Amino acid sequence: METVLQITANGLMLGGLYAMISVGLTLIFGITRVINFAHGEFLMVGMYIVYLITTQLGVHPYASLLLVVPALFVMGALTQKLVIERLRNSDEHVQIFATVGLSIALINLALLIFGADIANTPSSGLRHSVGVGTVGVLTGQLVIFFSSIVLVVGLHLLLTRTRPGRAIRATAQNRAAARLMGINVSRVYVLTFGLGAACVGVAATLVAPLYPASPTIGTYFVLIAFVVVVMGGLGSITGAFIAALVIGLVDAFAGYYLGSDLKEVAVFGIFLLVLIFRPSGLFGARRNLSHVSP
Amino acid sequence: MSTRTLSLPRNRDGWRAPAALAGVLAALFVLPVVIDDAFVYHIFITICIFAGLSTAWNIVGGYAGQLSLGHAAFYGIGAYVGMMLVNAGVTPWLGMFAGGGVAAVVAVAISYPCFRLHGPFFALASIAFLEVFRVLALHFSDVTGGATGMMVPLETGWMWMIFQDRLPSLIIAFGLMLLTLLVAWGLRQHRWGFYLVATRERESAARSAGIGTVKMRLLAVAISAALTAMLGTFHAMYLTFIEPGSVFSLTFSIQIAMFALIGGIGTVFGPLVGTILLVPVTELARGWLGAEAVGLHGFVYGSVLVIAVLFMPDGLMSVLSRFFGAGKTARDEDAAGTPPAPTRTQAQRAPIGDVVLQAEHLDKHFGGLHVTNDVSLTLRKGEVLGVIGPNGAGKTTVFNMLSGFLKPDSGRVSIRGADGHFHSPASPGDFARLQLGRTFQIVQPFAAMTVEENIMVGAFHRHPAVADARRSAREIAHRMGLARYLDDEARGLPIGGLKRLEIARVMAMEPRVLLLDEVMAGINRADLQEAIELVRTIRDSGVSIIAIEHVMQAIMSLSDRVIVINSGEVIAEGAPEDVVRQEAVIEAYLGKESIDAAAQ
Amino acid sequence: MLQLNSVSAGYGAINVLEDVDLSVEAGEVVTIVGGNGAGKTTTLRTISGLVTPSRGEIRFEGKNIAGMASHDIVDFGITMIPEARQLFPDMTVRENLQMGAYRSGAQAGLKQRLDEVVAMFPRIGERLDQRAESLSGGEQQMVAIGRGMMARPRLLMFDEPSLGLAPIIVSQVFEVIGQIARTGTTVLIVEQNVYQTLKAADRGYVLENGRVTMADTAESLLGNDHVRRAYLGI
Repeated sequence: METVLQITANGLMLGGLYAMISVGLTLIFGITRVINFAHGEFLMVGMYIVYLITTQLGVHPYASLLLVVPALFVMGALTQKLVIERLRNSDEHVQIFATVGLSIALINLALLIFGADIANTPSSGLRHSVGVGTVGVLTGQLVIFFSSIVLVVGLHLLLTRTRPGRAIRATAQNRAAARLMGINVSRVYVLTFGLGAACVGVAATLVAPLYPASPTIGTYFVLIAFVVVVMGGLGSITGAFIAALVIGLVDAFAGYYLGSDLKEVAVFGIFLLVLIFRPSGLFGARRNLSHVSP
Repeated sequence: MSTRTLSLPRNRDGWRAPAALAGVLAALFVLPVVIDDAFVYHIFITICIFAGLSTAWNIVGGYAGQLSLGHAAFYGIGAYVGMMLVNAGVTPWLGMFAGGGVAAVVAVAISYPCFRLHGPFFALASIAFLEVFRVLALHFSDVTGGATGMMVPLETGWMWMIFQDRLPSLIIAFGLMLLTLLVAWGLRQHRWGFYLVATRERESAARSAGIGTVKMRLLAVAISAALTAMLGTFHAMYLTFIEPGSVFSLTFSIQIAMFALIGGIGTVFGPLVGTILLVPVTELARGWLGAEAVGLHGFVYGSVLVIAVLFMPDGLMSVLSRFFGAGKTARDEDAAGTPPAPTRTQAQRAPIGDVVLQAEHLDKHFGGLHVTNDVSLTLRKGEVLGVIGPNGAGKTTVFNMLSGFLKPDSGRVSIRGADGHFHSPASPGDFARLQLGRTFQIVQPFAAMTVEENIMVGAFHRHPAVADARRSAREIAHRMGLARYLDDEARGLPIGGLKRLEIARVMAMEPRVLLLDEVMAGINRADLQEAIELVRTIRDSGVSIIAIEHVMQAIMSLSDRVIVINSGEVIAEGAPEDVVRQEAVIEAYLGKESIDAAAQ
Repeated sequence: MLQLNSVSAGYGAINVLEDVDLSVEAGEVVTIVGGNGAGKTTTLRTISGLVTPSRGEIRFEGKNIAGMASHDIVDFGITMIPEARQLFPDMTVRENLQMGAYRSGAQAGLKQRLDEVVAMFPRIGERLDQRAESLSGGEQQMVAIGRGMMARPRLLMFDEPSLGLAPIIVSQVFEVIGQIARTGTTVLIVEQNVYQTLKAADRGYVLENGRVTMADTAESLLGNDHVRRAYLGI
């Protein structure tokens, strides 16, 4: 029983982490309809920035939030402005390869600069265990979990209660009508891409003290993020949050009962089943089905 | 995507392209032999292997347009099956076929459920499958050796594909690459290649031409996976060591696809060109800069990819073909000026015959909307039936049911076959086999194919051999006034030309029943009379026609009978000049108070 | 107020409009009628900047707005109510109306404007917090018109306002258009429902195959055979 509780706790913590990384991806997809294959590398870049700030300046990792978030916002906005925007009318495969190319370039740039060795951000006490009875989790994990909730709620408020937020939603729901309302649609896309990347910036800051940065760290997380985003219903932020928790639990339980080497089979197996049999996601509306033929 | 290839020279100056190709291929083999340096050999062997892999990938990713980023899975299957068999004492010459067979079966099994997924989602699914394979290969270490990998046994010679010298490896790599190129080239020349590209470009138009689109895609996947696996087997022997991380690798998959993209996705020789250009650059960089610059070649790859899609999205081949096409002479047809308008001899029209198509009580709902309500109609042999009605009345929905694209909620469509009996087909393919052809309201050209190839897709229906289909297509192009465009890509045609092409492709199927969906819309007044004549000619050749049309002049002069559909119901039927005077019809078109207004 | 001088426009290589000349004076109700595919909708889309004209000039109060971005054209006081409503389906009715006043120039007095629109369409007032998608077709059309009014337009363009609506709703829609016109807003309507539109309009243009083939007062177009022919070919 205690084992089950501990695994559940671990699963929820992982879920929070996955949610943190996935909300930006689903936001970007939901609005711009672009799958950002370089999303994981945004995370990687963010983690290295945190690593540099903490080791060079000796500040608490969380303090780097102030720099990482704006930096990632700019990175996302530039990606949209300089790459995606120019490919708006191109074939689909061209758009895919653009972000795939960006991803390869960033991974290898990190390899060139930092080498293949891992880069440990100081944990600053965030790897301390806290818990009730025998069930324990790391402080850093708890921070991530609650921050992910704050992030999801925050994004929701931003999208529903603010003028730019409403412009973003309007553009996603009806691009032509949004233009008729006087919304500068390309600016909305730039803003959205920036916002999505900024979310990854938050994730990177919180993740860095717990996971060592490496050039390929993003590849692992981005695949999970794709699973979460598809399962949650493409573009749905709350859907992604719930799906992240589900995947976190699957990951934790499969890791315990199937062995850590096979847990990925469980995660990707579920992903493929959802993609093939319920492409709208577990919580998505049918409207999101533009990616499948009837 | 450009389908112009170096292999299809049809003009007098066309010797340049094949000569260049032969030169390049010869250089690939001769250069390393002449230089005779181990590193140079290695680079050229690597080029051959990657060119082969990329060409094989291109059959799925380019021809069929299914963007797989998981092709390393098939490569890995080939490598592992070959390796296991070698360790069990079976020569890789057999092992590569075993691996190819397994990969083909696996490819069909995993691709079939994924074909519903578009673009990035197919890519994501293929990545997920690749990850699953990698993890499984790591897990079942009893068979695969797990993370420690597998080695070849220490035996050399042709039997084991392992050599002290480099030359034999080059011979095999070069041979496999030639084989792959030959398959890819042959497939593109074959009817199946046309079908694949047509399916990629416009799936619904391909289905209406009677193409089994799913079957074609599975065929492409199987061929591509088998070739990829065979190259995988050889590569494993060449490397002498494999492990899951490097074999079932996403980066590797992306590289394969990337060479094709940069060379020219969908073209026969684009992948070869892309590989020849990129492999040496990065291998040399790696060789010169050595270990200090780990990641440099990847950075170059990634940056080149981004720059290439931004500035050269059609790949190097489109640049090259512009060069090779520069000396192209005009077609003979051009010299003759515009083709003569189709002429018609008045007396030929046969009397209207028996019923050939019958729709009974068709009902269709979309959500809460009743789009067609109890629609029945009949078409007789040699007759032209006009279908009119305001926007959104449900006319196109009726057409979709008459051609198998939509299943009615209730009601039945039957067609008299060549055997004289009535049949109730279910799919667009079945309708096509009963010689029903249709056009689409929004023209559906296979944009990246030439006009000739577009028409050939229809012609294959009656003429399976490429040469016959081409002859038939040319003849139809002449009849439709499209002769001067034969070698142009369909995407460049003006709207009038596209409308003709839409009809030409259907006519190439030699249909007995023809459904025309607004073929006159958007063509200018001068062409209208010509278009009307064209439809008359078709009718006089014995084809029965149903035409949705908004251009009243056309409907009035062409139709033997007209039905009017409004709000999903047939509200009137009869001779054209009677129907348009009926109150209900005028009201449907002009609004309620029109009758009083007209009376003023 | 608005003047199109030999405007050509289309999609990609396909030219839909050829040499269209058209003018609308302040305070007028003008209609463009014509068969399917004649280019009526494209005309409106070109004026509002969704389609960039390949040739010609579009003058609004003397200033050439041809080729400007749609979000800049909105600032001139030109609003288009698109065909088939085009609401934001997942937003509430209130949010949809707010979007109508999106441009900063229109933000001030948003509350007052909302009250005016609700006063005009009491039915909408009862449904302000429902999702737009859940409304009936007629109600959606009212929201679409309300959304257009939120921008305080000086030129309001309607694209097929009667499409897909029951006859009784159609006459309501035309009543509302009349009401809007009486407040001094200039109106340009594109419609299939020729007779009803011509009755509501001051002047009309007949568009065929992307060209203006007739321009006259609404009254004389009403009795004109040519209009009939443009639609019915008889």
